[in-house]
Amino acid sequence: MTDGTPFSPIALVGTIALLLAYLVAAWCVAAGIAGNARKSRKLVQSSVYGLYGFCALVALASALMIYAFVTHDFAIKYVAHTSDVSMPTAYKITAFWGGLDGSLLFWVLVLALFSTVAIVANVRRHRDMIGYVVATIMIVQVFFLSLLIFTKNPFATSITSAPIDGQGLNPLLQNYWMVIHPPSLYIGFVAATIPFAFGIGALASGRLDDLWIGSVRVWMLICFGFLSLGLILGGRWAYEELGWGGYWAWDPVENAGLIPWFTATAFLHSAIIQEQRGMMKRWNLALVCLTFFLTIFGTFMTRSGAVQSVHAFGEDNVLALQFIVFMAVIAIVSVGLIVFRSNKLSSKSEFDSFYSREFAFLLNNWILLGCAFFVLFATMFPTISEALDGSRVSVGIPFFNKWMVPFGLVLLFLAGAAPLLAWRKTTRERLWQQFLFPTVFAAVVVVAIVALVPGATSMTAIFSDDIKLPVSIINFGICAFCFGSIAQEYVRGMLVRRRQTGSDPFTSMVGLVLSKRRKYGGYIVHLGVAIMFVGFAGKAYDRMVDRTIEAPAITDKSIAFDADGTVAALPPASKSSFAFGSYVFLYERLISTSDDHKDAVTAQVSIWKGSENIGVVYPAKWDYHRGEEATTEVAIRVRASEDVYVVLTGYDLDSQLANFRVFINPLIAWVWIGFLIMALGTLVCLIPQSVVDRVTTRPKSRVGRAADVGILALVIFGLTAAIASQAHAQGAEHVKPGGGMGDDGIGWAAKNRPTHDTAEKAMKELLCVCGCPRESIYDCKCKTASDLRAQVQAFIDQRDATGKPMFDLTTADGRKKAYDAVLADFVSVYGGEQVLATPRSKFSWLFPSLAVMGGLSLIFVVGRRMVGRGKATQKEQAEKKPATEDEAYADKLDDELAGVD
Amino acid sequence: MQNSTIVKLALTGAVAVAGIAFFARSASTSTQHYKMVDQLVASDMSKLGDSQMKVHGWVVAGTIKEKIVNQETIRTFVLHKEDKKIRVFSKGPKPDTFKDQSEVVATGTIVPASTMAVMADSLGVRIESDMQYVVDATELMAKCPSKYEGAQANKKLDEDPKFK
Repeated sequence: MTDGTPFSPIALVGTIALLLAYLVAAWCVAAGIAGNARKSRKLVQSSVYGLYGFCALVALASALMIYAFVTHDFAIKYVAHTSDVSMPTAYKITAFWGGLDGSLLFWVLVLALFSTVAIVANVRRHRDMIGYVVATIMIVQVFFLSLLIFTKNPFATSITSAPIDGQGLNPLLQNYWMVIHPPSLYIGFVAATIPFAFGIGALASGRLDDLWIGSVRVWMLICFGFLSLGLILGGRWAYEELGWGGYWAWDPVENAGLIPWFTATAFLHSAIIQEQRGMMKRWNLALVCLTFFLTIFGTFMTRSGAVQSVHAFGEDNVLALQFIVFMAVIAIVSVGLIVFRSNKLSSKSEFDSFYSREFAFLLNNWILLGCAFFVLFATMFPTISEALDGSRVSVGIPFFNKWMVPFGLVLLFLAGAAPLLAWRKTTRERLWQQFLFPTVFAAVVVVAIVALVPGATSMTAIFSDDIKLPVSIINFGICAFCFGSIAQEYVRGMLVRRRQTGSDPFTSMVGLVLSKRRKYGGYIVHLGVAIMFVGFAGKAYDRMVDRTIEAPAITDKSIAFDADGTVAALPPASKSSFAFGSYVFLYERLISTSDDHKDAVTAQVSIWKGSENIGVVYPAKWDYHRGEEATTEVAIRVRASEDVYVVLTGYDLDSQLANFRVFINPLIAWVWIGFLIMALGTLVCLIPQSVVDRVTTRPKSRVGRAADVGILALVIFGLTAAIASQAHAQGAEHVKPGGGMGDDGIGWAAKNRPTHDTAEKAMKELLCVCGCPRESIYDCKCKTASDLRAQVQAFIDQRDATGKPMFDLTTADGRKKAYDAVLADFVSVYGGEQVLATPRSKFSWLFPSLAVMGGLSLIFVVGRRMVGRGKATQKEQAEKKPATEDEAYADKLDDELAGVD
Repeated sequence: MQNSTIVKLALTGAVAVAGIAFFARSASTSTQHYKMVDQLVASDMSKLGDSQMKVHGWVVAGTIKEKIVNQETIRTFVLHKEDKKIRVFSKGPKPDTFKDQSEVVATGTIVPASTMAVMADSLGVRIESDMQYVVDATELMAKCPSKYEGAQANKKLDEDPKFK
């Protein structure tokens, strides 16, 4: 450009793509509504094709944005604002959604992809309402595109010249959990749009039978799954990165994800009642609309400045107004349509008894909705109080806990109790039969804990400071009840299937889960939730201490150190140590290092139990050169029973004084383990019938069988490669913190660059051992990489006693010898092929991956065999004679499962 | 309308009203007020009781006193806003940017000055005679201007005339 304004072709094409997408979206809205209203198939088809075109345009814009980040196009303001040249590529891609403008584009992209998949899958089934569905989705897209184009264009360029380097991403966000936490939440939010669109489509078209519920259930499950993932990753990030010893602080931004999670969970349960009993149609539509409304409200909360939070996106009154108008439109349209169609939304039947599964589900829905509104109210409390009387009054963590703990415990009890109840009405005999084992099991667990664990009955306030209960022990009891209930359901289901199919217990169990995925996957989710509650219960027993140690052990000459730089034996009554819980912590030394990005101060602390050294941890503070506040790098010693969590809260480099905050967090690991089980259950629920059919049906032709084997091999290879890359990367993490950093802050990346192709090739093949994410020493910017590059160069350039080069680099053979020799030397020095980007001969690192893949393959093969065998046996038995054993239970099971999957 | 329906509606209403009242009471005892030093000093601090406060002000230069007692760091300093001041006592860690004249938010309770006399003695300071109440802080946050978007919301709070 001649006027000095920076020009970016990426920005130009990206903006054009967004503008075109905007026009296409507007057409889709008009064509979709007109098409269905006038019953014009052509118009409906054009809106559907428009949606596919829209997806392509948004994908192009997003790809251009990522390309701009990777190629450092700082003429684009958003790129300059959220990235810099020194950031690793993974974080550059993360920066796409690291700021407000990009996160809105990411939202549009995910919704475009989801809606394409949803429309492709449902276009034939819902021909009479698909136009309305497309129009609803595209109205949402038009709203977000309006924000992008007119207010928050991520492709906006600087008016003045482009900066040489960008401002970088917030250091707190440069964490691997942060790479997946925000997109998980976004995906969860976005997935709620699809059920909303189908709900509105059903209302607008008047097709209010149960068909639409079946189409949206999977999307609400995706919404639930990703919101769960996003929330737990946020908790994990806070636990590892923020240094306050906890994982959930009821922060407004986290609450914004939790509130729609409650309503999505409620819908997943109430949808079953509609399918089974034809009840709660109005309620389900309201939940679908409410969940979508709350995702928009959550976005409004975090992006408008309506609430204060450490990671809110900032205050923006214009944006706030746009969101308020959009939310008003959603509310008016949703309520208006539900009222308009209310005559078609009456229930087919009524509740017969309080002792019924549908009533348990209804109670579950009320409590979940109560939780959503409670968290919403408490989160907005400061804003409401400020609006009312001008003073900012907030409610803290204890207030949330006082109310949410009892709500959570009731929900957990219902998770265990509801499966034990029958539809319509449970007889007294059946209640006794079903509840006996879980209740006795819970009672035994409670008695055992009270007897064996001192202080287990500590009292906790609920609802009000005046009401105190031994919440923790109640929690353990309800968890045990839940475990007992789930185990009982699995065992009984397995026994029935075994009688029906004549297969062994394991085969029956696998077949049961695969054939009734939604029911038994749901139980796995409940199991995961109960395990998470075991972790939550541990919170009642956590402890914290602050200690200031004036001098480390290294300054005490009487303390002996081993060759590896750690203390050999715990000195008695050292001033450098302190006791806490059953541990003694010895502050050994303070390490000050720096690299191109940051200065780091790391404390070396050994943890002792009695006279045994059980580990050395390295809590640190990192001061990024581009940041203005140091970040806390906590050290956590993870065990199933308790985490020992050490934080370096302060230090003085001159005197070597260090402040530590130590937390002992009992059972916290079960929160993460429980979530993994919950995720597994969600995945089981999401397995499509076609996959099960594929697994259980043996292809007739050789080509089909070969294709089966090929697909399986590809999946195994892909997963092995992914897991192997992780296993391989973990080697570098065992390097001591600080060990990979230089001792000054500038220019390591520029030092010891290769002087010839052979050295460059070798440097690109060798991985840096500084703890970076598998960067080669050619790319890594730390001092270690610089030193290693010097070693590579020196090795290849070495000469013999006569002064002759050891490797003849003028020939291909000589270059190959040099390359192989330097790699072999590094493998020898570092004790393994973990230093190579592509390991050669040793496959030990592959074993865990192969074991996992082997297990999966085994499950696949066994599952296929067992389900197949079950079907065959079932068929044979049906031909021979009807099932006679335990018919009552078998009938009940079949009744309950009918139509569930 | 049938009598049974009226009874049901009345019962539902009564339960809802009782629930809201209980909730309001629970919320009122769990609130955490946010006040600038001048607002706090001008208020009747004897009525604050045990409620948690966030007190926002600037550290008066030269008033930070720290001491390590039994491996625990204790400290005191004076926060001010314009000519109004209040003394703060705290234990444990402090923010990296905590120093003279830094902007601090101290979270804790307002207690009579006499209750902190022992800690003041061990730190070698005398509580000012005009300070009847002091802040017993459990957490200190030093405000730090940041270029990151995450800090913008807090920055706006500072710019709000209500907090000036």
